[in-house]
Amino acid sequence: MPHAIGWWDRLRIERLVWLLDQQLYDLPRQSRLATRREVRANLLEAAGDVGATEALRRVGGSRQLAHRYLVAELGEGPRHSLIAAAYVGGLTPLALNFLFDATAAAYHRGVVAADPHATGTFTWQGISHLQDPTTFSFVDGQASQLGGAWTPLTYLLWIVGTIAAGRLWRLARSRAGRRDAVAHAG
Amino acid sequence: MTASHDPQLLKGVLSLLLLHLLAERESYGYEVVQRLQEAGFTDVLEGSVYPALTRLERDGRVTTRLVPSPSGPARKYYRLTPAGWQALRAGSATWTRHTATVNAVLARPLPAAPDEEN
Repeated sequence: MPHAIGWWDRLRIERLVWLLDQQLYDLPRQSRLATRREVRANLLEAAGDVGATEALRRVGGSRQLAHRYLVAELGEGPRHSLIAAAYVGGLTPLALNFLFDATAAAYHRGVVAADPHATGTFTWQGISHLQDPTTFSFVDGQASQLGGAWTPLTYLLWIVGTIAAGRLWRLARSRAGRRDAVAHAG
Repeated sequence: MTASHDPQLLKGVLSLLLLHLLAERESYGYEVVQRLQEAGFTDVLEGSVYPALTRLERDGRVTTRLVPSPSGPARKYYRLTPAGWQALRAGSATWTRHTATVNAVLARPLPAAPDEEN
């Protein structure tokens, strides 16, 4: 017997689709969008047939469904995590810049505390190996600063950290496996 | 056939069943589920079928196309590729061989069960 799908049912379906989508960020964007669209279309049709409650029950929870999609797309076993890579890749510069700014500001305050009318050039060596020295030019206690950039080692650590957090080497492996599967099927 | 099926057994043959159903005619996800249920697999859930279809697509065994639906969003129809037909033939042959071997073992006469001896 066909069931009418009300706005509440649509909201419940959209909630599941949204929750599923949030757990599929490791898939390519196109694939994620296609999955979202397909699950929504199937759920709406199923809800029209058996009711939204039963349709949602039969599709299982979003976590289990996402896991199955990830296994279907990326295979069994350990996988990469684009989300983890994005977090580390995005947050590391923020954290480092905050740290470098805080240490440079502390140095600046130290100079001003020692001599409120300081005049001259002072160099803060920075956190060794991670940043270049910062030069403060003081004129009557007012400073302008130059330097403090990341060193090549900092960039290297950032990149290595991002790759390690996202286990991105598995991405290349899964793509190669995918190509092999299609070639084998063909 | 409405009795429940061993989920592990079903998992093993789900791809083969899907390939066969799609070889009969192209279908979209929910329709495939309905056809499985009509065939007696009433305990097959959508949550297993949709990812299995995705896996077949990833492996190049089915291809898809979007068809506008009169009742809602466009439906994603699946149909077999030549590789899918090949996989279906190979899978069917393996399944037939497998069941014949299992049946041959199960058909052997058994000694009386211990509780019957007492």
